[in-house]
Amino acid sequence: MKLLTKTTLNFLSVTLFIFLFGIVAFYFLLREQVDQNINFELEKRKQSILTELNAVGPATNLPPNPNERVVIHMLTDDEKSPDIVYADTLIFDHAQKKYIPFRKLGFTATYNKQKAYIQIFKSLEESDLLIIRIFLILTLLVIVLILSLLLMNRITLKQSWKIFYDTIKKIGHYDVNNHEQFVLQSSDIKEFEDLNRVIQTMTNRINADYINLKEYTENASHEIQNPLAIINSKLELLLQSSDLGEHNYKAVVDAYEASNRLSRLNKTLILLAKIENRQFPESRDVNLKEIINNQFELLEDLLDSKKIRIENNIQTNFTVNMSPYLAEILFMNLIKNAIRHNIKSGQIIIQQSENTIKISNTGPESNLSSEDLFKRFHKSSESSESLGLGLSIVNKICEVYQFEIGYNYEQMHNFTIKFKQ
Amino acid sequence: MKILIIEDEKPLSDSIVEYLTTEGHLCEAVYNYEGAIEKIELYEYDCAIVDINLPDGSGLEIIKKIKADLISLGIIIISGRNSLENRIEGLEIGADHYLTKPFHLAELNAHLKSINRRINFSGHNEIIVNEIKVLPEEHRAFVKETELKLTKKEYDLLLFFISNKNRVITKISLAEYLWGDFMDTADSFDFIYTHIKNLRKKLLNLGCADYIQTVYGVGYKFDLTIG
Repeated sequence: MKLLTKTTLNFLSVTLFIFLFGIVAFYFLLREQVDQNINFELEKRKQSILTELNAVGPATNLPPNPNERVVIHMLTDDEKSPDIVYADTLIFDHAQKKYIPFRKLGFTATYNKQKAYIQIFKSLEESDLLIIRIFLILTLLVIVLILSLLLMNRITLKQSWKIFYDTIKKIGHYDVNNHEQFVLQSSDIKEFEDLNRVIQTMTNRINADYINLKEYTENASHEIQNPLAIINSKLELLLQSSDLGEHNYKAVVDAYEASNRLSRLNKTLILLAKIENRQFPESRDVNLKEIINNQFELLEDLLDSKKIRIENNIQTNFTVNMSPYLAEILFMNLIKNAIRHNIKSGQIIIQQSENTIKISNTGPESNLSSEDLFKRFHKSSESSESLGLGLSIVNKICEVYQFEIGYNYEQMHNFTIKFKQ
Repeated sequence: MKILIIEDEKPLSDSIVEYLTTEGHLCEAVYNYEGAIEKIELYEYDCAIVDINLPDGSGLEIIKKIKADLISLGIIIISGRNSLENRIEGLEIGADHYLTKPFHLAELNAHLKSINRRINFSGHNEIIVNEIKVLPEEHRAFVKETELKLTKKEYDLLLFFISNKNRVITKISLAEYLWGDFMDTADSFDFIYTHIKNLRKKLLNLGCADYIQTVYGVGYKFDLTIG
């Protein structure tokens, strides 16, 4: 649930609760007040009736009032006089053909030396109407108030949260490898400003650490080259000497092979670091058919040894803007991969559709996960001699140029690269 | 050949001197920029092996100076940096070869031999080892005056063997010499075997002695003492 929705719901439930109770209480209070008023008026009327009765004469002289009825009931002596009482009652109105609420005051008075029970009825129709009107106006007012408050709140919050969502989006897309500056929008809300500041500090630190680490690895890799060169040369010299025993000779050979493997590994890691740091010659339009054919030529021995047939169906004028050096490395690794995992007398087919190139090989079916495939040092069990870095180089190059690389298996192992237009 | 080795890593420099001295070259080693400049001004060399990263200067500056002084000598760069720009820059200012550390001494030696041929014979030369004769500028080889029909790889292989005759040549250095960095060594070993088998067969067919010997577990030896 969004924070905005939550606050809105809370706000609504509290205001509705208060509003409902308030409105009910208000109604009764108003009612009470009106009743008191009417009682007061009835009392006043009672006094005037009493005065009139004693002064003017018969009750029929009383001035008529549509909202008021006076009923005089003469009491016989043995009749007990009712108490003075205020009450609400309904009286059927023949004109309007409906019951109309009245408030009555009944009291006894002496009229012509005879006891009389006088009831004054006062119509509540008007005051009821008034109450309802006041009630409606007030309700409307409160509802409008609540709605406008709600709306204003939403608008303000939405405006303020915009920055927050922008920050979230940017953090979501944050990539330490991305060389663009990581900048957040500034906000007039202190909390968001604090958040942005903390995130900015954090990303700056991550970037600095990352660059440090990268420089460290790169420097380390370069520094390793010298000692490796020394080890290699010394071992090579040792291999020339004839006075090594068979046992020692074997040890030297093993060490020599290991140091050579280390050299290769180190060179590859340096290459990967260089691709990551974008330290390679400038891009230009590269003819991919040519590049791929060149790689096939270089890998002729490898192809011949497995008797692999090749098919290169790329259009002769298909070019991609990239570093030619990296284009060579990219396809060298893809083709090497397609040869290595192929069967004897297998096939490699390279197809092109628009800006996508598909490299398919007839390797034996196996369950490769396309996620693991491009990871560093990922090896399939069969060829353990390889470093497992070929496809991660491919992946890295694609990443740098924002090409989309994919893998799937449909009778053949297919690697697709979608080039950026 | 008289060779100047400019390399600040003394153990590496020593290895190079040792390897090349047994080849009959005269080697002198200096370990910094100053020393190199001094030597170049005072003496004459046929070839210089230059490391680019020196403690007190750049090897590239030394090469520029050599070229500016119009001194004619072969130059091989050895560098820990394997960037294309460095390589291109090195070759543009007049180096003959660019080797990335770590390199194989046999490979360095083969490159030196080809520089030697270029300088001392201006290319018009023939290499003769026992009954084998190679004409490098024509890429042709003969056994007892009969031409050997070799593929390019076989020819390169033969030349590499002759350059490093009587030495143990590792499979790895062969692979890197023939295919460069891009081939995984494990893959290339099979092809080396195939190419060597073919080369040996062709040599034997023309009555050549069986010079190519297998050194178990390591590689091969072009042993001229046989036969």
